[in-house]
Amino acid sequence: MENRELWSLLEMDLEKHDDLLAPLQGYFTSLFLERANRPQGMGYFDMVVGDIHGIRVKELAVAKKDGSKVFATFCVYVPEEIIQAVGSACVGLCGGSQFTVPSGEKVLPRNTCPLIKSAMGFKLDRVCPYFQVADWVIGETTCDGKKKAWEILNDYIPTYVMELPQKKLTRNIAFWEREVSEFAAFIEKETGVELTKDNLDRGIAVINGKRAALKRLASLRKAVPSPIHGLDVLLINQLAFFDDPIRFAKQVHLLCDELEGRIARREGVVPTNAPRILITGTPQPIPYWKIHALIEQGGGVIVGEESCVGERYYKDLTDPGASLEELLKNIAARSLNVNCACFTPNSGRIEDIVFMVNNLQVDGVIDFTLQFCQPYGVESHNVAKEMDRRNIPYLKLESDFSEEDQGQLKTRIDAFLEMLVC
Amino acid sequence: MKVAGLDLGSVNTKLVILDNDQPVYKKTLPSRFDPVTTGRELLKEAYKEYRPEKTVVTGYGRVSFPESRVITEITCQARGCHHFYPEVSYILDLGGQDAKVIKKNAQGKVINFVMNDKCAAGTGRFLDVIFKGLHLAPGDIGLALEAEPVAINSMCTVFAESEVIGLLAKGTSKLSVLAGLFKSTATRLAHFIETAGQPESLVFTGGGAYYQPLVQLLAKQLSIQVMTPPEPELTAAFGAALIGVSEG
Repeated sequence: MENRELWSLLEMDLEKHDDLLAPLQGYFTSLFLERANRPQGMGYFDMVVGDIHGIRVKELAVAKKDGSKVFATFCVYVPEEIIQAVGSACVGLCGGSQFTVPSGEKVLPRNTCPLIKSAMGFKLDRVCPYFQVADWVIGETTCDGKKKAWEILNDYIPTYVMELPQKKLTRNIAFWEREVSEFAAFIEKETGVELTKDNLDRGIAVINGKRAALKRLASLRKAVPSPIHGLDVLLINQLAFFDDPIRFAKQVHLLCDELEGRIARREGVVPTNAPRILITGTPQPIPYWKIHALIEQGGGVIVGEESCVGERYYKDLTDPGASLEELLKNIAARSLNVNCACFTPNSGRIEDIVFMVNNLQVDGVIDFTLQFCQPYGVESHNVAKEMDRRNIPYLKLESDFSEEDQGQLKTRIDAFLEMLVC
Repeated sequence: MKVAGLDLGSVNTKLVILDNDQPVYKKTLPSRFDPVTTGRELLKEAYKEYRPEKTVVTGYGRVSFPESRVITEITCQARGCHHFYPEVSYILDLGGQDAKVIKKNAQGKVINFVMNDKCAAGTGRFLDVIFKGLHLAPGDIGLALEAEPVAINSMCTVFAESEVIGLLAKGTSKLSVLAGLFKSTATRLAHFIETAGQPESLVFTGGGAYYQPLVQLLAKQLSIQVMTPPEPELTAAFGAALIGVSEG
């Protein structure tokens, strides 16, 4: 089936969708395809992005015909393992483009996080085939903006909301375990497939396999000079939410094999003295590449992302268990280890940042917050304080998905890189 | 060694040519929305007589000079101010479209900096727009120190303009409005500086430093000594040239 035929069947707004995709091709080509010294293993991921609204959507449409369901998510707390176990698909949603922000603002206040506005706009404009192919959106209560936006989104697509606790005390853990069990029951009911120890073992193995591959890739960035640009890893981290998990993990491992060869030959994508940057803060959903691009065009290299589109997604694996109940408990335990700014206190995140700074031989930390993100925006103060205490160079940036602040961002980023070099 | 430092700002384009650390040529021209062309003209004119061996370009138009050594105005400003005030750690640069606080070390290298948000609130442009609207002579600026400042609440250039119009219509004197403008800007700048640290003294540079009452009010507000270089809009260009000289 041709892409356009598929998109028509999914009731997409084809004209608007053309307008959305038109500038992306050139942007992607100049940022990625034309960049020198990229690993060959990026070829697969380039191909997936090149047809981001085609290949994978087609697979999902076919799987739906065979009776499986598609659950669309925004957050690393949603337990993918359970969806994988019953043979359904879990995909991330589009939400990183300025193109759909004005439509999102028709139903949301302008002073709202651009991610929420963009995602809402993708649905309202019918320009995201993942939204169109999905049976359900699985939301969560990780911030007030999203929590309330789900109520509006539910008018356009059925939306199930998982309630996340705000602390990590014993009673909060018990609460979250119950929430995960209820989610499992919901998935069983929606798909008509019973969750068993066997199928959940398999689901966990698949998702753990994806996370392990991403962890391996992350650990190779320890090498000096770095064997891969941060932009390429960001792209892979973004695709981790969309692609078939088994195929994706295999391709990430192939890339890692190649990178190990580079490291053995002491080959890097930058000179040995290029400033090594850790990005921390809010997620950067596809196709948001602005911050990484400015840093690496300025001569730095990003060696880690302490972000949901990064380390927080794959840091821990789900432990094995002897029974279905134990497996569900372990799924809850793994996700609750993620240190999101929606928790209080959230000192674990500061520890994660410091660990990554040491482990990856980071020269400077750039704390990136999407506009109007209260949890991360406020938490920046504590991050800055700790970086200052440890004499770790630190720069705070706030931006959105628009292009208009490129000049101001570039001055800040270039000055920060100059500070690290001289 | 002769080096040209060119600073392409949003309001003015500045050129300084140094022979080692001695200035041999200085010139400022309005950028007229096109600092790149203005900068090229300035360079061309100066080149005939002074023939600098290299050019270091800074300021927001710097990206249009890929053939030259390009350095951000933050690094250049620190280097330029360090030349005049090596013992002062903090710099406030009030330029046309942004405000920056820079902290430098004993070698004149940047160790931290903060910049204002993307709008022109509280920047040099804001002051210029309101000052122009008051139709006062440059010589009147100093008189603002003796006038009773009226409260000005808006920091958005557009809203502040209408607030000022309203105040004048109510009969408030122009000098009181000007005094109020400096006072509210000084308060805002003082808070901004404190987000970057607690300075013991400060260099105030950039075109905004020509508003002497503002400098004095800021010193009072922070209870610290605030110094202004003799030609505050030239320090970034000066620093750019100095970096060029030291890089050889």
